Amino acid sequence: MKYCKSCKVHYDTTLEHCMLCNGELEEIDNTVSTYKFSEIKKRSNSRFFYRFFFFINIISALISIYLDYSANGFPLTWSWVVAINNLYVIVMFIILAVPTIWTSKLTKVLITTVMLVLLIGLAIRDYYWAIDYVLPIVVATNILLITILIITNKKKWYDYFASLIIITVIGLIPGLLNLLHLTHEPLPSFICFVYALITLTGIIFLPSKSSREEFKRRFHV
Amino acid sequence: MKKKKYWYKLDNAGKVFPAVSKDDRSNVFRLSFYLDEVVDPIILEEAVNKVLPRFETLAVQLKNGLFWNYFSSNHRHFVVDVEPAELCKYFKPMNNHGFLFKVYYLENKVTLETFHALTDGAGALHFLKSIVFHYFKLRGIKISHDGDILSEKPYSKKESEDNFVTNYDKEKRRNLTEEKAYHLEGEHFSHHWVLLLKAKVDTKSLINLVKTKYHATITQFITALLAYSIYRETNDFIGNKKPLKIFVPVNLRPYFDSVTLRNFSLYIKATYDSKKTGWTFEEMLDLTKEQFVDQLDKDKLQSRISTLVGYEKNIFIRILPLFLKSIAFKIGYNVLGESISSCSISNLGIISFPSEWEHKILDVDFVNAGYGLAMTLISLHSFTNIILSTPLKDLSIINHVLSFLVDEGLEITLDTNYKEGYDEIL
Repeated sequence: MKYCKSCKVHYDTTLEHCMLCNGELEEIDNTVSTYKFSEIKKRSNSRFFYRFFFFINIISALISIYLDYSANGFPLTWSWVVAINNLYVIVMFIILAVPTIWTSKLTKVLITTVMLVLLIGLAIRDYYWAIDYVLPIVVATNILLITILIITNKKKWYDYFASLIIITVIGLIPGLLNLLHLTHEPLPSFICFVYALITLTGIIFLPSKSSREEFKRRFHV
Repeated sequence: MKKKKYWYKLDNAGKVFPAVSKDDRSNVFRLSFYLDEVVDPIILEEAVNKVLPRFETLAVQLKNGLFWNYFSSNHRHFVVDVEPAELCKYFKPMNNHGFLFKVYYLENKVTLETFHALTDGAGALHFLKSIVFHYFKLRGIKISHDGDILSEKPYSKKESEDNFVTNYDKEKRRNLTEEKAYHLEGEHFSHHWVLLLKAKVDTKSLINLVKTKYHATITQFITALLAYSIYRETNDFIGNKKPLKIFVPVNLRPYFDSVTLRNFSLYIKATYDSKKTGWTFEEMLDLTKEQFVDQLDKDKLQSRISTLVGYEKNIFIRILPLFLKSIAFKIGYNVLGESISSCSISNLGIISFPSEWEHKILDVDFVNAGYGLAMTLISLHSFTNIILSTPLKDLSIINHVLSFLVDEGLEITLDTNYKEGYDEIL
């Protein structure tokens, strides 16, 4: 045990100097004091690297847009593709860095990737391949994957439930695009729409007691 | 019989925390017991997993609904960790098997750090006492619970009750307006490190001082002392447009006959005008007593409960999707939440253990790491720990608090998580 004469306080720790006056502490008895916490270690500022990563991508997008504009003026052409990819890398990084269950991560990654493909299609003014094929195939595959997961891993089905609902609702979009005549090749979108609709109908009309409970939890107001 | 699958809506106090918590605002509080032996982590982990199923409101994971978060049963195995250097460290439940609390060990110390959305100090205390009781039992020590250990009592549904909702009375709602409060500013330690300074004082001497000289309660005295220290040691408080507001959480269980293990506390506040000059400690104490007496009234507390619950019952808030609510909570908390309070004081009171093994608990910590300066009080055996924690490097207010206590004749023993050489790291 130590003592600070000027502050008149005892210290039960390993400090040599008083925290309040910085005066030297006196040993007053033979009781050995210990440090009762975990020691902090010197570490690098990892946040800097995150920020630097974001910064590099934003700078890359801005420089590309500037160079494209300087060379060709409006409308911008190739720089959109670079900027979209820079944005995609940032979003993917955030998705992968935030800890969550992997089905949720997978769904987010697939949706982001489909968005990337659609945006690139729009940037190069040829988006039909993205709408006609990429969107319905990726979404339908994701629905199938989560359905298989739910069937094979019944114990954890409620963990995958939110992802299934979200991706099934997204699966209805290709059908809407067909209706609005925004697709050239309607078959993949139609198949995706029907598959999503069947899955959604199944979720709503074939509920077990536990899935009804899950609905109640997920949608409680 | 207890249910295996269960779920809860988040209580009124807990609803906002999932959206607004981050590295420098963890909304985690710590309770530690120092045992008379070095902790065996394997036995500790076994004890936690043995006790956990009894505490239905703690054996949960946070889930996202379309409109609100909710707690869902979590039957995964809980893993204990070595205590980290940071107090009340923000953690991602996903990296903790979904659980919203952490159990740490370090030498002879068992620490429970709990996310505030889950429970408050009273609930966490029951849990930690049960863990330590089972730890000793698993170590082969023959001890009895004397009816004081919750895990040894039969489960009651009342423990899982949301008493904010059960005490909601539509007629008692009123308009709550809060003005912004003065804030302590200064350089922060890096890596979200929070300094802890524990002042151990003799409880009898403290009570004697507070009761006989100042005719106050310990919480009133400490609140006034903190306010007076801020008034004396800061140079931007007087003349500041914002008043000093110290928030003091009140355990509502005794007022509303509750045994819930979920959050059931509400802040009362002591407000001090920054326009007034020449404050004396006695004046501040008188004002504190007045405000405490005024606010610690069952009807007034119920009125505030009803107002707060009333907000969440608003149909427009209810139907707002969760991701929009989260954005609104974040903005609201930044604009209002932190700005309405200057600092906080939390008194957990006297911690008692069954007499047979009371001597096996040598010391206790209760830490609520907030912004600015947070004070907590907890008493064990014959002493009281007054714990000050701050992310700020300036110690002048803490210095004044301690000097005041010394000048009043109290013998203080300090302990801290600070070490010489930390200045270079932090």
